[in-house]
Amino acid sequence: MEYIAISTGFALMLLGLWGILSQKNLIKIVLGFTIFDTGINIVMVSIGYVKGKAAPILDVINASEAANKIVDPVPQALVLTAIVIGLGVTALMLVYVLKLHREKNSLDINSFKDLKW
Amino acid sequence: MIKKWIILGILAGMGLIFFDLFSAFRGNETLGKTADYYARHGAEEVGASNIVTAIVVTYRGFDTLGEVTILFLTAAIISFVLKIRQEDILPNRPIRITSELLDSASQVIVPVIFMVGIYIFVNGHLTPGGGFPGGAVIASGVLLMILSNPNFSVSHKVIAWVESISGVGFVLLGVMGILFAGGFLDNRVLGLGDFGKLFSAGIIPFIYSFIGLKVGAELSNILGAISHAQNEKN
Amino acid sequence: MVGPIYIIAVALGLAFVMGLFGKSLKNLSEWAMLAGLGFMTFVSGQWLLEFMNNTRAVETIFTAGFKPPYSINLQMGIQEAFFTFIINVVGLLGGIYLFKDLKQTGPNAMMVFLVFVMSLNVVVMTRDMFNLFVFLEVGSIATAGLILLNNNGNALQAGMKYLIATGIISSILLVGIIYAYYFSGSLNIDDILAANLGASKVTVIAVFLIYVSVLLELKPFPANGWGIDVYTAANPGIGALVSAASASASLFVLYKLASLGGAEWLNYIAIIGGITFVGSNLIGTKQESPNRLLGYSSIGQIGLLTMIVGLSNILGEKMIFIASGILISHYAAKAGLFWLSGIINAKDIKGWAALRKSPFLLFLFGTFVFALIGFPPFPSFFGKWELIMTLATGGHWAWMVTILVGSFIEGIYLFRWLGYAIKLDHDELPDFKIEWNKIFPVWIMAIVLYAVGVYVSPLTEGGMFINYLPLMFVLFLFAIDFLPIYIKNTVSIGGIIWYMFHIYPVLENDLLRLIFAGIFLIGGVLTLMAGYNKKGTRKGFYPMAMMMYAGLIGIIESSSMLEFFFSWELMTAGSYFLIIRGKRSLPHGYSYMLFSIGGAYAILFGFGLAFASGFDTSLAALGDINILPTLAYSLLAVGFMTKTASLGLHIWLPGAHGEAESDVSPMVSAILLKAGVFGLMLLFLYMDRASAGANNLWYVLGWVGALTTLVGNMSAAFQEDAKRLLAYSSIAQLGYILFALSIMTHLGWLAGFTYTINHFLFKAILFLVVGGIVVKLGTHNMYEMGGMIKKMPFSFIAVLISIIVIGGIPPLSGFAGKWLFYNAILEKGWYFQGALIFFSGIVAFLYLYKLIHSIFLGQLKDNHRTVKEISAWILVPSYILIIGIMIFSAFPHWILKPIETMIAPYFSSQALMWDGTKALTSYGYWDGTTIMIVVGTAFVLLLTWLIVLSAKAKKIEQFNIVFAAERPFRPETTHVSYNIYAGYKKALGFVVAPGITIFWNVVSTFVLEVANWFRRIYSGNMQNYALHVVLYIVVFYLIALGGF
Repeated sequence: MEYIAISTGFALMLLGLWGILSQKNLIKIVLGFTIFDTGINIVMVSIGYVKGKAAPILDVINASEAANKIVDPVPQALVLTAIVIGLGVTALMLVYVLKLHREKNSLDINSFKDLKW
Repeated sequence: MIKKWIILGILAGMGLIFFDLFSAFRGNETLGKTADYYARHGAEEVGASNIVTAIVVTYRGFDTLGEVTILFLTAAIISFVLKIRQEDILPNRPIRITSELLDSASQVIVPVIFMVGIYIFVNGHLTPGGGFPGGAVIASGVLLMILSNPNFSVSHKVIAWVESISGVGFVLLGVMGILFAGGFLDNRVLGLGDFGKLFSAGIIPFIYSFIGLKVGAELSNILGAISHAQNEKN
Repeated sequence: MVGPIYIIAVALGLAFVMGLFGKSLKNLSEWAMLAGLGFMTFVSGQWLLEFMNNTRAVETIFTAGFKPPYSINLQMGIQEAFFTFIINVVGLLGGIYLFKDLKQTGPNAMMVFLVFVMSLNVVVMTRDMFNLFVFLEVGSIATAGLILLNNNGNALQAGMKYLIATGIISSILLVGIIYAYYFSGSLNIDDILAANLGASKVTVIAVFLIYVSVLLELKPFPANGWGIDVYTAANPGIGALVSAASASASLFVLYKLASLGGAEWLNYIAIIGGITFVGSNLIGTKQESPNRLLGYSSIGQIGLLTMIVGLSNILGEKMIFIASGILISHYAAKAGLFWLSGIINAKDIKGWAALRKSPFLLFLFGTFVFALIGFPPFPSFFGKWELIMTLATGGHWAWMVTILVGSFIEGIYLFRWLGYAIKLDHDELPDFKIEWNKIFPVWIMAIVLYAVGVYVSPLTEGGMFINYLPLMFVLFLFAIDFLPIYIKNTVSIGGIIWYMFHIYPVLENDLLRLIFAGIFLIGGVLTLMAGYNKKGTRKGFYPMAMMMYAGLIGIIESSSMLEFFFSWELMTAGSYFLIIRGKRSLPHGYSYMLFSIGGAYAILFGFGLAFASGFDTSLAALGDINILPTLAYSLLAVGFMTKTASLGLHIWLPGAHGEAESDVSPMVSAILLKAGVFGLMLLFLYMDRASAGANNLWYVLGWVGALTTLVGNMSAAFQEDAKRLLAYSSIAQLGYILFALSIMTHLGWLAGFTYTINHFLFKAILFLVVGGIVVKLGTHNMYEMGGMIKKMPFSFIAVLISIIVIGGIPPLSGFAGKWLFYNAILEKGWYFQGALIFFSGIVAFLYLYKLIHSIFLGQLKDNHRTVKEISAWILVPSYILIIGIMIFSAFPHWILKPIETMIAPYFSSQALMWDGTKALTSYGYWDGTTIMIVVGTAFVLLLTWLIVLSAKAKKIEQFNIVFAAERPFRPETTHVSYNIYAGYKKALGFVVAPGITIFWNVVSTFVLEVANWFRRIYSGNMQNYALHVVLYIVVFYLIALGGF
């Protein structure tokens, strides 16, 4: 189960990276990033999975029982943060794309090469 | 053409790294050191049934403050980047007419969406959910309002107030942790209460409410700014 | 004590509140931001102070009230305090600098600014891996926003590139962190470091991912196109912050995590840093845009610091000192330069000539450039010194070479830039406004550089002995620079005379040093006297001249290698500014500087080897170099020979001396060159005479000296420019000295000393007088002169006496030199070289004849009918020097005898005997006093006879066509001495073909072309930059972990 999830995560990361590196349309590049991020999030959650355990929400306080009942809550907390960060970056990128499009009326990445050398 | 092969080569290289990462992963039979501690003591020390919430708001609350800061930053940047000078505003933008159905339905549904959002963040310490999903749900309500009414503009004043008060509230609650409990963002400023009740887990529900409001406000702010940016002359 | 957590709480609280200020309180927000930044600076500064006074232990801040690793903890130790303090200071100053820009953009920009600085504080303080990631992201997002303060297309593109690249990098970091957590069960940095993930083949992958992303944040060459564009396009105020604050924070992250993987990984870090340092500086050499140039330079400096972190195992406890010295120089200088760039707002570095509209800006610019290169008294000087010494101790030659080569390349573009600012025409350039809030931060940074430099110098071994007294004098002269020349000149002369009395008791028993001190200080007073001749304020001249003299005297006084090098660099800096003052001196000052830096680095390398041989910091360490002694000797000799302008290293001299101002030429020729001679003498005395290496080196240097003499004299003979003729003559004379010293016998050294003293005397006279004439006549070309004997009789006599000395004609002291010289050659048996020297001695007559004939004899030119004798302020020092020549000629034993006694212990046979005033060798004898009397009597008799005869002579006016020839219209075709030696030139011209100049031109063109080729990878396409980043990861992975 977790192996399938984690390999899916890595596959999505590769896919996203492919989009980032080969797409010419800026919007698609941003989409590449979101796919890349999603892949990472899946990898993170999979890493915290413990075989046969449940979500880390407890009904009663019982220390020894809880330790045997739940999956690792830490990666889940981290993913929560990572998602929000990804959201922030994506929003910012999209606004950049919006402004870039205003600038040259183009979304082609090759039309933004004014700075070089 | 050559570039295409270079990209493929690089992706193959990354694939190799990912494959090695995959092989390094051997699954888990038991919890690690930190996770084990949280499982054993989380509920008792923090008083939240949702251990993830205990981690997000208290143990690693400082991360969450950073996370909120990121949203705040993004919203601030977007609003100054997309600021339109008065003379650049299109006088009368062609407006797409909203269908009757969407208009009426949204009037019914938006309050419900807000309610659900609030419910999600208020109960963050008990159920899956919390400030971020709750805030996002609220922002989705705002999005619906923007979509259904093209002339709708998000009130800056309201958003600014919500944004600032919830942000400052978060920080102040954190500082109260230093003054009245063990450290910055310690939730034991208030008593832990009865495990599993709404008013329990110290200040977690309050922090999560501030987070929810702040996230909702920031996201609405972003949406509003982007929507407003369409009014600019090209 | 205010807890460090309040840095974060207050900054964030303020940022959140600012949104509430609304329209009524809008003007409050910028002050609120500055207050917040001020508070942050205060808190971190207060902690830094506590730690520096050792009154506190490291403070750990537990958030959420739980112990790590279960909750996030921050740490405040001396290093964190230092880093947060410098970040907050540049944040506060940057906020002041950007005051108006931020105000224009509104409160939102201020919030972003505040949060940006706050995030860097957390990045420094946090001890939690994921927290580090979060606040790195906060920092990058804030940066991406601040780039857009410049709301234009370039800034947008740069910001997008930045977002894409950092997006990939931070994702890789995140994967690394989650794997580190998976392997170690903790997110706490200390736990992860303790887990020793580098040890296992499985877990090492997390180490790799974390390292590669942290390194990529530091913009390693060549995967850094995205970073450079940010520097290029962003507001320079933001560039300053990214370069000074963000880079410092990222560097600290690397330092925090340095022990993550183990020694092998440190090696990789060092290599990556080294490649970046050299590569980035190399590409900088082709840059014309100031901000982009600063970007390359920033990345290069951070590369150097990365390398230092990577070498931490080798550098041991010295590492902190080295890194902070270099970091603080980079930090202050780069922030200052970016801010200056924002004030001038020029698109091209040539536009920086506009700085001259405000000399203080030029002073600031110079300060920053010298601080970056690592000149004294800046902290980077001490950092680099310790770095080289420590590396030498461990035998890490390759690293030493990398550092010195990279620094040299950095010098190439920084000094080109500085030269443009000092020299290029600035009348056409647009004006710029200097606002108080923009210039204030720049001043602070300059003061920081000086203050920290003086503060850290006693922390280096031997650094506490550095004499800052002369430098204080330089500073004082800066302060009174607005006063007229005669006051500053008097103050300077007074200062030197006072120092003579001050230093005499110290050197009384050390004749070698006393002689050179005499040359430097007496020469200084005499050449300065000529300055009374000038009018106006002569801005900048006196501080720089005094800096050169401070360096020269420091070289004499120094007992340790550090003091010596300190003074050597000071002298170089001062003389550079003097040389570049000449009207057409831009290229010459530049090449002088490059040769000087190259030479200084050769010396530094040699000193490193000397130090490593016995851990002795005193100059005596040169005496027992046992690590690669031949290399060390050669490097030191080459270093000193860049100052003596020996063949191959001489191409800077003719222009530098020929184009310099009339009283600067004698300073840099008669006086400055002797610093190289002094260095060579010290070295030769210390060298191990028994070693084959030393003897081979002397043999080679003998040949170099002989050839230098030949080429120098020949080139002088073919010159039409009077001052260049003298400059080539200097090259030749220094060739004699080098040759004489390389003979390494008693006689040879006596000859060397005689030549040194003679050259000082006559070259000072010649450059003073000829310089005065050149100014008077308004031309350097000798064929445009003539007939000056009647107009300038005193000049004529001065020149005549000098050339009698150069020619080695009895009775003057030149003959003594020659006599000793040929005795020494015969005794040594260097016949071939001797023949060469003899031949060039004849060539010398050619140019001496040409000099005196073309200027003073022949026909007076039409436009010179009204000229008068040159100023008495030039003649008086010249005649004082002539008195010196007369004394030295008549009573040579007064000086030579003590010298002989001094050098006797170093040489086995005492080949020269004295019998009263008579000097005896196995080849003959010579008596200066008797010769003087005999020749003097003969001269007086002949003169009387001539005067008696001339009573009957008929005077012929110039235009009496019965006797005179046609009137010259085109001076060069009709002047008898124009191209007078065309015949010789045809036969022997190949000797002076500019082969060496061509060689150096090819070298520099090659370097620039390589740079040009490399920078094509910066194609401007953001996708390519992303590709570079990913490719970098893959290649690094394959190299580091490809095997598993």
